[in-house]
Amino acid sequence: MSSHSESIIREPLITGNNITYAKISNDILAPVERMPGKAWWIGFTVASMGATLWLFAVSYTFWYGVGAWGLNKTVGWAWDITGFVWWVGIGHAGTLISAILLLFRQKWRNSINRSAEAMTIFAVICAASYIVAHMGRPWMAVYSLPLPNQYGSLWVNFNSPLIWDVFAISTYFSVSLVFWYTGLLPDIALIRDRAEGLRRKIYSVMSFGWTGSVKTWQRFETVSLILAGISTPLVLSVHSIVSTDFATSLEPGWHTTIFPPYFVAGAIFSGFAMVQTLLLIARKVLGLENYITMFHIEAMNKIIILTGSIVMVAYCTEFFIAYYSNVEYEQYAFINRYFGPYWWASWSMFCCNCVIPQVLWFKAVRRSIKATWVLSIIINIGMWFERFVIIVTSLHRDYIPSSWAMFYPTWIDLSVFVGSIGVFFTLFLLFLRVLPSIAIAEVKLLLKGSSEQEKKKILEHGHVDSTQAEFYKDALRKFDSVEIAEYEKV
Amino acid sequence: MDSNKKYWKGLEELNKTPEFVEKNKHEFAEPIPIEEVLESGGLLGKTPRRDFLKALGFGVGAVTLAACEKVPVHKSIPYLIKPEEVTPGVANYYSSSYDGHAILVKTREGRPIKVEGNPNDLLSNGGLSAQAQASVLDLYDVSRVKNPIQDGADSDWDHIDAFIKNELTAIKAAGKKIRIVSSTINSPSTLAVIADFVAQYPTAKHINYDAVSYTGIIQANQNSFGKAVVPHYNFDKADVIVSFGADFLGTWISPTEFIGQYVKNRNNKSLQSKKMSRHIQFETGMSNTGSNADVRIPILLSEEGIALVNLYNAISGTTLAGSKKLDNAAAENAITLAGKELLAAKGKALVVAGSNDVAVQTLVNAINSLLGSYGTTIDLDNASNQYAGNDAEFVEFVSDMDKGDVGAVFFLGANPAYDYHSGDAIKAALKKVRLRVSFSDYTDETASLCNIIAPNHYYLESWGDANAIEGYYTVVQPTINPVYNTRQAEQSLLVWSDNAVKDYYTYVRNNWDKNLLAKGGLSGQKGWETLLQTGFVKAAAKPAGSYTFSHELTAVAQTILDHSNELAAANGDKTKVQLQIFQTIALRDGSRANNPWLQELPDPVSKVTWGNFAAMSPRYAKSLGLEQGDIITITANNYSIDLPVLIQPGQPAGTIAVAVGYGRTKAGLVGDKVGENAYPFHTFRNGTFQTTAVATIKATGEQSELAQTQTHHSYEGRNSIIRETTFTEYKKNPYAASGHFDEHKTYSLWDEYERPTYNWVMAIDLNACTGCGACVVACSAENNVPVVGKDEVRRRREMHWIRIDRYYSFNEKGSLITKESEINQLSDGDLDNVSVVYQPMLCQHCDHAPCETVCPVLATVHSSEGLNHMAYNRCIGTRYCANNCPYKVRRFNWFNYWNDSRFDNYLNNEHTQLVLNPDVVTRFRGVMEKCSMCIQRIQAGKLKAKMEKRSVKDGDIKVACQQTCPANAIVFGNVNDPNSEVAKALKSERTYYVLEELNVQPGIGYQVKVRNRTELEA
Repeated sequence: MSSHSESIIREPLITGNNITYAKISNDILAPVERMPGKAWWIGFTVASMGATLWLFAVSYTFWYGVGAWGLNKTVGWAWDITGFVWWVGIGHAGTLISAILLLFRQKWRNSINRSAEAMTIFAVICAASYIVAHMGRPWMAVYSLPLPNQYGSLWVNFNSPLIWDVFAISTYFSVSLVFWYTGLLPDIALIRDRAEGLRRKIYSVMSFGWTGSVKTWQRFETVSLILAGISTPLVLSVHSIVSTDFATSLEPGWHTTIFPPYFVAGAIFSGFAMVQTLLLIARKVLGLENYITMFHIEAMNKIIILTGSIVMVAYCTEFFIAYYSNVEYEQYAFINRYFGPYWWASWSMFCCNCVIPQVLWFKAVRRSIKATWVLSIIINIGMWFERFVIIVTSLHRDYIPSSWAMFYPTWIDLSVFVGSIGVFFTLFLLFLRVLPSIAIAEVKLLLKGSSEQEKKKILEHGHVDSTQAEFYKDALRKFDSVEIAEYEKV
Repeated sequence: MDSNKKYWKGLEELNKTPEFVEKNKHEFAEPIPIEEVLESGGLLGKTPRRDFLKALGFGVGAVTLAACEKVPVHKSIPYLIKPEEVTPGVANYYSSSYDGHAILVKTREGRPIKVEGNPNDLLSNGGLSAQAQASVLDLYDVSRVKNPIQDGADSDWDHIDAFIKNELTAIKAAGKKIRIVSSTINSPSTLAVIADFVAQYPTAKHINYDAVSYTGIIQANQNSFGKAVVPHYNFDKADVIVSFGADFLGTWISPTEFIGQYVKNRNNKSLQSKKMSRHIQFETGMSNTGSNADVRIPILLSEEGIALVNLYNAISGTTLAGSKKLDNAAAENAITLAGKELLAAKGKALVVAGSNDVAVQTLVNAINSLLGSYGTTIDLDNASNQYAGNDAEFVEFVSDMDKGDVGAVFFLGANPAYDYHSGDAIKAALKKVRLRVSFSDYTDETASLCNIIAPNHYYLESWGDANAIEGYYTVVQPTINPVYNTRQAEQSLLVWSDNAVKDYYTYVRNNWDKNLLAKGGLSGQKGWETLLQTGFVKAAAKPAGSYTFSHELTAVAQTILDHSNELAAANGDKTKVQLQIFQTIALRDGSRANNPWLQELPDPVSKVTWGNFAAMSPRYAKSLGLEQGDIITITANNYSIDLPVLIQPGQPAGTIAVAVGYGRTKAGLVGDKVGENAYPFHTFRNGTFQTTAVATIKATGEQSELAQTQTHHSYEGRNSIIRETTFTEYKKNPYAASGHFDEHKTYSLWDEYERPTYNWVMAIDLNACTGCGACVVACSAENNVPVVGKDEVRRRREMHWIRIDRYYSFNEKGSLITKESEINQLSDGDLDNVSVVYQPMLCQHCDHAPCETVCPVLATVHSSEGLNHMAYNRCIGTRYCANNCPYKVRRFNWFNYWNDSRFDNYLNNEHTQLVLNPDVVTRFRGVMEKCSMCIQRIQAGKLKAKMEKRSVKDGDIKVACQQTCPANAIVFGNVNDPNSEVAKALKSERTYYVLEELNVQPGIGYQVKVRNRTELEA
C-alpha cells in the first residue's frame, strides 16, 4: 500500500529532498546516538529540579499529613484532583492519535504518535501519583483494590466512581504502555543494530529479539491493530469515568449528565495542546522539521479548535441547564462560578479555552508556529483552570451556607503541582535521549507514497493535471520545511 | 546401499593400541582432579562456599533483627486486688456539684472522664453549660501547680504550714488586717470554715470579689427593699420579657437555669397549647440572648438609661425629671409599645437589665414593682447565692493594702491581678503585704505575685457543698484521688486556724449532720449516704413575697441620665466610641482560659474561637474604612489594647463591644496570650464596677484574621435549610412553614434498608435551641473530638462533630406603623435590624446517604438500625464522602491532632490523654470522622437491657448533645417505637427535614423556628 503513488492533491507528510530510509534513521536517531546538547542539559537540569521539588513536597505531605495542603472541611479536593484530572486529560491525545487515528488510517499520525504516547504514559504517571498522594492514608491504598482478604471477604464498593477510576486508570496505563512499547520494538531493534558494546546489549534485551522477518512484521501489524482496537474505547471511557467522579455526586456543579462527553472533548483538547507544546520545541531542537511538518501542526490545530468548541458548547449548556432546571442550588453554583469569589478563575478558564482559541479559525494562526505554541500554553492553563473551577468553585459554596469557605493553596500545593510538571519533563527528556521520538519504522512507510520528493517526481514526470499540480504547489506554500522556489520551474 | 564405511578418530583407534583401550574404559578421557581439589587448597580458598553461606545467613539474620524495632510497650498494671466498685469497662457515676448545679461525674477505671447533668437537678434538670462540660479536662491539665510553692520554689505542706502559722501569729500580734479574698462562695461548709478562721484571727475578714460583678443588683435590692440579694428570677412565669442588655441565656447570673425556664414557654409543648412568651431585647452588642429575642432593638449604650427612664414613664404614666425622648425613633416607639405589652401582662411580666449600676437596677426594681413582678417572676425570698461580690469592699481592701494595713491576704478562686480593672494597683499594693497566699491550682497572674501557693484540689478531687439558690443544697464529692500534691483550701484553712476538726471531710459531714441533712428530711449515716446518691437536698421554698417599690426616683433617674450624657459625648467624634464590655459564653470571666475545649468553642453569635475582638456594625466599620480583621487600638481609662475588628450586624453604629476573659498572661500552656485583656476598661463608678466607657479607637493598619468557624452569615433564602414563621402564622396554620400538610409521593432508586428493631433518629427544635454551644463541648468530651488550635480553625478545619449554624437575616420593609403590629414594623430599617436563627447541624444519618455510595472502600456504611457508620480502620482518606455530604458534617483528620508536637495545646501528653473516653477510639491522621449518634452509648444501652433481659426502653439511651442541652432542644430515640419521645416530637406539625428534596432521607427532623411577631419579616 505504501508503495503506491498517492494522489497529488494530498499534502506531503514528509518534506525535504534526498530523504532515504537511511537518512530517516539517521535523522531520528541522532539525539539518541549522540551526546546530549546544551539545550537538553539545561532542560533536564530544570526539570529534575522540579522533580526533586515534587519528591520533597510529596514526602512532606506523607510525613505530616494531607493537612500540609490548603484543603479544609468544605473543600476536600482542590489542586490535587485538579492536577489529577489535568494530567489524565493531557494523556488523552496519545491514545487518540495512536488508536483512533490508526483505525481511521490517518497516516499523518505516524510522525507524532510516538511522542504523544510517551506523553500519555508520563502524564498518567503524574496523574496516578496524585491519586496516591491525595489519600489520607496512602499506605492503605491497597484497600482500593478488589483483593481477596481475610475480613470475611470485604470487597471494594463497586458503586463508587473512585473504584471505577482505579480500574479505568490502571487499564489505561497498562494498555497505553503495552501499545507504546509494542510500537517501539522495531525501532529499538534498529538502535540495537547500530549500537555497540553495552548499549547494544541493553537495546538487545529491550528489543525482545526482534528479527525483522516478514512474519515478525506481520505479527507486529496484527498486534498493533488489536491494541488499537482495545485502546479505542479507552479514549472515550477513561475520561468519561473520571467525569463520573463528579457527575455521580450530589454536588451542585458536579451533578451533570453532560460531563462524560464534555470531559472527553476537554481531554482531547488539552492533550493536543500538550502535544503541540512538546513537539514544536522537539521538532526545532532535534531538527525534525521534515517529519513533523506544518501539515501536522495544522491538523492538530484543527482538532484543537473542534474540541475546544465542543467544550465551549458544554460550558454554555451547563449554564443553560442550570437556569432551565430551576434548582436553586444548581443555579447558584453556576452564577457563583462566574460571578462569585472565584470569578477570576472561571473567566480565565472561559477566555483560555473558548475565546482565545477561536483565533485558530484563521489559517495564518493555524500555520504560525509561534502562535500555535503560545496558544497551546494558554489552553493548558485554561484546562487546568477548568478543573479547578469545576472542583473548587462547586465545593466551596454548596448547600449549607454556614459551611461556605474559601480555598487557599499552601506552598506544598504549589510545589506538588510544579513538581509534577518537573517529573513529567524529566521523564520526557529522558525518553528523548534513549528512545526515538518518532516512530521510525512507521515514518518509513510513508516515504515512498506520501513524501514531498515522491510527489515532486510525479510532478516532474508531468502526468499530472495542471490544476491539481497548481493546487498542490499552492498547498506547499505553508510548509516552513519546503523550498518553494524549487517548484517555480516544475 | 548401506554404507559400510567406518570412521575413526585417530590412528590409535584404528590400531586399537592398548593405551587407547585402557583410556576408553572411562567416561572421561582424562581423570578429573576431584581428590586433588578436595584435599589441597580447594576448601581453604578465600571464600569457601560454606563460609559464604554462613556469612549470608548471619547477615540476613542480623539485618532482619535490626529491622525489627521493638514494639513500644505501654505498661499497665492490672487490678491484682480489684476494688469492689470498679469493673473494668463499666462506668461508675458519682453525684457531685458544679457551680451549684447537681451533676453526675462519669468515671472509668477510677478516672473521671465526663461530667453530666444530674437529671434531678432543680436548676437545669440535667442540662449543663459548656463550661461545666469542659471542666473535666482541667483535671488533667499539665499546667496545674503540682506541689505547694514557697517563693517560687516547690516546697512541702509541713514546711508551708509551719511558715504560715508563724506568720499569722506574728500578724495577729501586730494587729494587722488579714483578708480572705474569694470569688463568691456559697458553700455552707466553706463559709463555716472561713468563719472559724475569722474567729481564730479576729483581724481577718472575708471579701467576696467577682470578676464580673452583680453588686449593682444586690445594692439596688438593699436600697429598694432592704434585701441585699440577687433575686431568683422565674423566666418561666413571664409572658412578656423585656431585657436591657441582660444576656440571661448566655452569661447573666444563671444562664443554664434560665434557658430551661425561658424555653418552657417557647418549646413544642408550649406551642401546641398555642402559647408562646414574648421577648423584647434592647441592647448594644449582639448577645446570645438578643439573638434569640422575638424583637431586638439595637440601642446605643448612651440610650439605655434614657430608654429605661422612658419605659418607666410609659408604665407609670408619670414623667421623671430630666426625661427626654430618644433620638432613635424606632427605639422610642418600641419602648412605648413594650410598656403597653408589659402592662397588659401585669403579674406575668419581667424586666431585667444587664447593667451593674445601682441606679439602673433601682429603676428596674421600680418598673418590676409596677408590673407586679415580685412574688411571681422575681423571688426575693428564695434568693440566688450565685453572686455575692461586693465591689466597694474590694476597692477598700486594695486601698488598705496600699496603706500597708494588711498583713496577710489569701486568694481563693480570685485572680484580681488579672481581672481587677487596675491590675497594676494590685501588683503595687500586694508588695506591701507581708504574707500573700494563693490557693490557686495555677500559677496565675495573682498567684505569681504571692509568696505562698497552697494549691487547692480541683473540684473533682474535693469534698464540699454548694448552695446556689436559697434552700437548695448540693454536695461535692471527690471522684479521684488527688492527681498532684495539692490540698483542699478549706483543709489548709482548718490547719492554719488550729481548728478542732482536723479533716475537712469530717468538717463537711459534721456540718451536714448538724445543719443541712435535716432540711431534706434526712439524718445520720443513712441520710448522708442517700445524699451522696441523690446529690442534693431541697428545703421547702419560702413563699415568695410581693414587694412594692416606694422610693423617690428623681436622684436615681438623674444618675442614669448623667451617665448617658457622659457616654453620649462620644457621639459625633470619629475617633471616639461607646465601649461595652461583655463576657463570651465560652470563656465567661476567663478563669477557665486554659481549657482548649472552651477556647475552641465558637461564640454563638460571632462564631469566633481563640481570641476576642472589637465588634462593630457594618455601617460604622465602613464609615471608618475598616474591614473585618483590621487591628484597631482601643484606648480607655489610660489603657489600650490592639484587637481585630469583627463586623457584627445588629450592633449600633458608634459603639464597639469587647469581651473579657482573654489576654491571660499566666493561664497556662493553652490560655496564655490568647486575645487581649479587657478588664482594665472597667470603671469603678457609683460603688460598682461598670462595663461601659467612652473609648478612642485608631486603626493600626495591621491585620489579623479571626478564627471563625462560619464566615458566611445568611442562608440565602434557602428555605429548605431554615424554615421560620411567626407565631400568628403558626396559630393560623401550624403546617404552613414546614410544608408538610400535603404529603407528596417520593420515589426511590434504592432498595429500602431493613430496620427491624431500632431506627435511631433525632428531632431538633429550632425554637428551643438558643445556640449556647453546650452540646458542642459535650460531644467533644464524649467522642474524643480533637482540638485543632487557632491556625487550623482559620484554615476551616475545626473537628466538631456537632456545630451550631447561625444565620442572620435583615428586616427590610417599608415602615407602616399600625397599633398592634407597630412594634414589629419598628425593627425595619437598616443592617442593624437583624434576626438570628440557630441550627444545630450534625450527621443526619441519611437513609440514602450520599457519602456511602461514593466511598471506594466501604468505610462508611449503613446499619440495620438506621445509622450511618464510619469504619476508621478501613478509611483511606479520599474525602469524597465529605465532598458529597450536602450537610458538610464530615470532618477529616488533616494531621495527627492528638499526637503531633505542633498541636501542643491539647492531648499531646500522656497525662491529659487520661481524659479520653475509652469507649471511643482516637482517630489517626488521614481518616474521616463524624457524628456516630454516640454509638457507644447505644451499644451500652442495648447491652444493659440485654443483661436485664428486656428490650431498650425509650430514654434509656441519651446521646451526649441531647443530655447536656439545657433547652431540651434535642430528642433522640427509636422511631420504630410510636410512643417514644422522638416519634412524638417528629409528629409535630413544625417538623421538616433539611434539604428534604434531595431525597437523601435524613434521620434528623427539625422543628420550624417560630418568632412571636405578627408577621414574618426575615
